[in-house]
Amino acid sequence: MTLLRPLIVFAGLLALWQIFVSLSGVPPYLLPGPGQVIVTGFDHAGLIAGHAWVTAAEILIGLALGTLLGGASALCLAYFRSARPWLMPILVISQAIPVFALAPLLVLWFGYGMASKVAMAVLIIYFPVTASFFDGLRRTDPGWLDLGQTMNGTPLAILRHIRLPAALPAFASGLRVATAVAPIGAVVGEWVGSSAGLGYLMLHANGRMQIDLMFAALFTLALFAVALYFTIDTILRRALLWQADN
Amino acid sequence: MIRLILAALIFAATTPASAGEKFVVLLDWFTNPDHAPLYVAQELGYFADAGLDVELIAPADPNDPPKLVAAGQADIAISYQPQLHVQVAEGLPLVRIGTLVATPLNSLVVMADGPIHSIADLKGKTVGYSIGGFEDALLRTMLARYNLTLDDITLVNVNFSLSPALIAGHVDAVIGAFRNFELNQMDIVDRPGRAFFVEEEGVPVYDELIFIAHKDKLDDSRLRAFLGAIEAATLYLINHPDEAWKLFIKGRAELDDDLNRRAWRDTLPRFALRPAAFDAGRYERFALFLKEQGLIPEALPAEAYGVELR
Amino acid sequence: MSLSDDSSRLPSPLAARIDNATLTYGGRLLFDGLDFALEEGLWTCLLGPTGVGKTSLLRLFAGLEKPDAGQARAGAVSYMAQQDLLMPWLTVIENTVIGSRLRAEPPDYERARVLLASVGLADRSGDYPRSLSGGMRQRVALARTLMEDRPLVLMDEPFSGLDAITRLRLQSLAVELLRGRTVLLVTHDPLEALRLGDRIHVMAGRPARINKALTPAGDTPRDPADPALLAHQAELLARLTAAADADADAAATAAAAAAAADGGPG
Repeated sequence: MTLLRPLIVFAGLLALWQIFVSLSGVPPYLLPGPGQVIVTGFDHAGLIAGHAWVTAAEILIGLALGTLLGGASALCLAYFRSARPWLMPILVISQAIPVFALAPLLVLWFGYGMASKVAMAVLIIYFPVTASFFDGLRRTDPGWLDLGQTMNGTPLAILRHIRLPAALPAFASGLRVATAVAPIGAVVGEWVGSSAGLGYLMLHANGRMQIDLMFAALFTLALFAVALYFTIDTILRRALLWQADN
Repeated sequence: MIRLILAALIFAATTPASAGEKFVVLLDWFTNPDHAPLYVAQELGYFADAGLDVELIAPADPNDPPKLVAAGQADIAISYQPQLHVQVAEGLPLVRIGTLVATPLNSLVVMADGPIHSIADLKGKTVGYSIGGFEDALLRTMLARYNLTLDDITLVNVNFSLSPALIAGHVDAVIGAFRNFELNQMDIVDRPGRAFFVEEEGVPVYDELIFIAHKDKLDDSRLRAFLGAIEAATLYLINHPDEAWKLFIKGRAELDDDLNRRAWRDTLPRFALRPAAFDAGRYERFALFLKEQGLIPEALPAEAYGVELR
Repeated sequence: MSLSDDSSRLPSPLAARIDNATLTYGGRLLFDGLDFALEEGLWTCLLGPTGVGKTSLLRLFAGLEKPDAGQARAGAVSYMAQQDLLMPWLTVIENTVIGSRLRAEPPDYERARVLLASVGLADRSGDYPRSLSGGMRQRVALARTLMEDRPLVLMDEPFSGLDAITRLRLQSLAVELLRGRTVLLVTHDPLEALRLGDRIHVMAGRPARINKALTPAGDTPRDPADPALLAHQAELLARLTAAADADADAAATAAAAAAAADGGPG
């Protein structure tokens, strides 16, 4: 069972955490023990689930939109040389500006609802997706392109049958990175202004000194992020079964 | 070997950062006119006269200072009386040793040219707030006088960006706005606001800004010395407001702006003239109010919340 | 300027030809007014030292390069490279029909299966390239080439990456399956040229010249043990060596001239 080893590692970390808390006597309002966090989590399961649903939606929608946008941008960059001097700076800027700095602006423009959180997630994954996909498209094996040309392939068919499948491994790397960081965008957006979501719940719990609840929300977020990554990774591996080192 | 590492970690976690001479005071927010007595005391040398080498630190997250005092990482923090009641209920070993601002500053603010002229007009509207922990208790009380409940309004967390959200029209009202600040902020951009003061709308009176310390460290003579310096500085403020302003901005040119000048004027009458004095009855009444609002499980006697250091 | 040696067979107007072509590559003048024609229905093999421009010539025929001056005329071609160019995300049979897909035509799977059978891979049509050996992959490439059904087939050292036995087998297979088509095979192996070629040229010099064709007797694939073949091989080796030496001399002269220009007074 491939799940066994990660579970053991996870259990080990929990045990270490509990040991540290028990031995160091650190107060629960600074660092609660895992047992307390789990109990609190179950006590407030409904509350946490409600907020988790919101954050999950923000992450998934942001991931989908960001991937579409990134994919379209990469195709643009690959096929329209003239677009590059316009698109490249936008790409670099989206990566260089820390999300924290842009978050208040996005909230101001998109409001306090889900839209600003989705926008944050899109912003944070735009560069990884675009850059990796563009790289993959750029580096299509010239032998295949030669073959396609001698076979009189149409440009659309060459894109669909040669360049896209050839770029899929690179795109997959970018998508994996995006899956890992999209949750960050959603949660930062919630911190800046929101009425729902796990980030909001963490802030709320922190403000009321309910640190165990804050950790329970954090845990749930981490769990979701890990499950999401695992799911996307599995899907990508199935799609890339033909890769020799898979 | 593991014991050694754990022991080291424990030691690091529990030893206060200022093991030396520094007396660490955590502000509640970035430096602003609410902190006037502290800066005046520092500039006039009152701390030094009391034998204190005071370090004033402004946190980025207002939720941190109480935790840091509780963990022994700071000597005093400026905090809020309502939050103190909740913190004590959660088991933090904190206690109020002095008062900085003896009136509430919290208010509900709407656009002056807007449709809301009384709390009753909030029905069906959106109210922005920043996470403090008891904004719903305030709102519930204020709304109840007009037979409204929290279900009649929509709450949106705008996280400290109160006046921009109000001016931009994202929300119809904001709660948690400090009357000496947000109102001036809105005046300056020519979009004046109208304020409803919480203590005039059914909420019991409380101290907005207090000094808190670790409840097991009350025999530290420096605490009383600190309060003495604050008291002297507050009197100087009352007696020489213009000179005091100059001391406030001395070496801190970034504080010399229109907003601070207006806030200074509005905050001056609100400083506690007797910082160390403790109104036990007031604290007990407020604890009862919080208990009725469901924020704390029980209303403890006043000694659980504050002391008067002799 | 070279023409094929066998003047009893004139170049058919449908066969491929290069007329008066000039091509520079990487700053070097590869061809300068080169003429070359392929005889229809015959295997032409092109030998020469590395870097002389054999692949560039092939690419001119394929339409993958345009000459700086002059023209290349070839019509529809089929192309086989040293790498099999199989797409790893497609099964063997999908790789075979890739041409139709690229032209947005419905693929003829029946014909593909027949062709795969003719190269001996009927039972692997659903497998992915990564589970095939190098020799098998080139066989799929051969099937793909046949699938294209073009009169002109261009091959750039397609068997050089294989071991000796596989190479011999694949050479024979290719000859059988491509009989009747016009084939240009670029190779650096004189034995391969002699086994498979109806006309064998040596390309040499800078800019490159194409020598008179060698026309070995007998039907292809020829027996490597045939003494006539071995005699031809000796001759070819001699020509190749001479070409390589001439190249080396030319390079040395050029280097000396450059050094003299640089190392003047001061």
